[in-house]
Amino acid sequence: MNKPYFAAESISVRYDKVQALREVSLVCEEGTCIALIGANGAGKTTTLRAITGLKRPFAGEIWFEGSRIDRLSPPEIVARGISMVPEGRRVFPLMSVRDNLMMGAHLRRDGAGIRSDLDRLCDRFPRLRERLGQNAGTLSGGEQEMVVVARALMARPRLLLLDEPSLGLAPMVVRDIARLIVAVNREEQVSVILVEQNSRLALSISRHGYVLETGRVALAGESAELLVNDHVRRLYLGAGAEAEAS
Amino acid sequence: MLAVRPVPLAQGVPMTQALVDGCVLSANYALIALGITLIFSIMNLLNFAHGQMLMIGGFMVYYVYGVFHLPFALGLLAAALVLGLIGAGFERFLFRRVLRVATREENSMLLAVGTALLLENVALFLFGEKQRGVPETVSGVVQFAGAFLPYQRLEVFLVALVLILGLLYFVQYTRPGRAMRALAQDRDAARLMGVNVDRTAMMGFAIGAGLAGLAGGLLVTVQGVNAGIGTDISIKAFIMIMIGGAGVVGGAILGAVVLGFAESIGYAYLPGSLTYLLIFLALILFLVIRPRGIMGHPWG
Repeated sequence: MNKPYFAAESISVRYDKVQALREVSLVCEEGTCIALIGANGAGKTTTLRAITGLKRPFAGEIWFEGSRIDRLSPPEIVARGISMVPEGRRVFPLMSVRDNLMMGAHLRRDGAGIRSDLDRLCDRFPRLRERLGQNAGTLSGGEQEMVVVARALMARPRLLLLDEPSLGLAPMVVRDIARLIVAVNREEQVSVILVEQNSRLALSISRHGYVLETGRVALAGESAELLVNDHVRRLYLGAGAEAEAS
Repeated sequence: MLAVRPVPLAQGVPMTQALVDGCVLSANYALIALGITLIFSIMNLLNFAHGQMLMIGGFMVYYVYGVFHLPFALGLLAAALVLGLIGAGFERFLFRRVLRVATREENSMLLAVGTALLLENVALFLFGEKQRGVPETVSGVVQFAGAFLPYQRLEVFLVALVLILGLLYFVQYTRPGRAMRALAQDRDAARLMGVNVDRTAMMGFAIGAGLAGLAGGLLVTVQGVNAGIGTDISIKAFIMIMIGGAGVVGGAILGAVVLGFAESIGYAYLPGSLTYLLIFLALILFLVIRPRGIMGHPWG
């Protein structure tokens, strides 16, 4: 049986007594960018935590590149080629930008490759090159977001997970980050799972979308279709006011 | 405070002598403070047994160098290895499980106190209560600027300095050192980079313990060792990280320098027991004003 490039099959996750995810299934084809949208508490971050091994699902399976990964630990998952950019821009605040990026390459042993990747990422993010020696905690929000994305890319992942990269960032910065994600997806052939509260952003740069509501997949489909879907427009794209006015 | 008292050697000018003694003391204290800080920053655990580990390091050098007349360097190596093994063992077999399942911070603290008692009583059983010393590794005294500095103390100072620089280099520029810093600053993010938390914690504990052992091995050449000095040393270690700021490498060194000079200047000018009374009073006052230490981070 041929499994998709990445598939979460009916995963359920429980925190103590509270069920955070109910039989959530999603698929990401190789080289595509998919979006996971929904309100606060819908289970988006939990889904990512399940994929990266930080929180094991009690039911369901997760498959990546033909093998099952839901029972692996976070280091093993990183070693398999999945990197996550966590919510809240978790830079290592007292470490320099360079050291932060080097931490992204922690599991790699090819010194020359690491150095050339660092160089390449600094070309893509010129602002980082300026700040390589600076402590990451002193950077602005947008710069920190660049650091954590670049840090995740230092692992040369084949699947990149992003947890709310636009949170707390100014609109212009958000645009830069969005362009970045698209570039990474297209030019580096990195598959992307993008979790966002900014549904319009997420759906406009992804091919497929999943809408999570209270731990379940409420809607799934091509992002272009979801963008014009009534339910999605009303609840997640802020089209409610217009609908009522018309 | 009975143990680890720097005895001024000769009638040098008190202030210069105190400053010179302060340098030697600070270097040795920095080794102690860095070790306990390393463990604290990675595992959020105060190593109550740190003083006992130093004591065991002293005994390693006593036996290897003093009793079996093997080279002093070998004694230091033995101190580092034995304590490294003890530290790794503590993490692997005692603290790893407790830290994972403990619901209260007090549980790991009690365990730490328990390890201190364990080491102290094992040492008493094996080594007895007697004060031990070792012959000089290098003899002679150098005099400058009105102060006397025995070569033995100079050697202790230089070796300590080399070890401190080596540790700083390791933490700052090597992969495992970077992983330790990352783990200390953001545990989950470090896990996401693939850092093996268990193995890194074990390495950190081993290195921290090894540093304590080395400090003890150096100290035994200057003022001997007995099985009971552990508690006093641990208290000094706590004082240093309280002054400098717990969990911060710069804070450890700062605390060591402050305590080292406070002690040497105090002993030069004040009657013996008054020195530490004043140090404690100053510490209490300081902590009321700045509980996190000079370079420490606010809790939470």
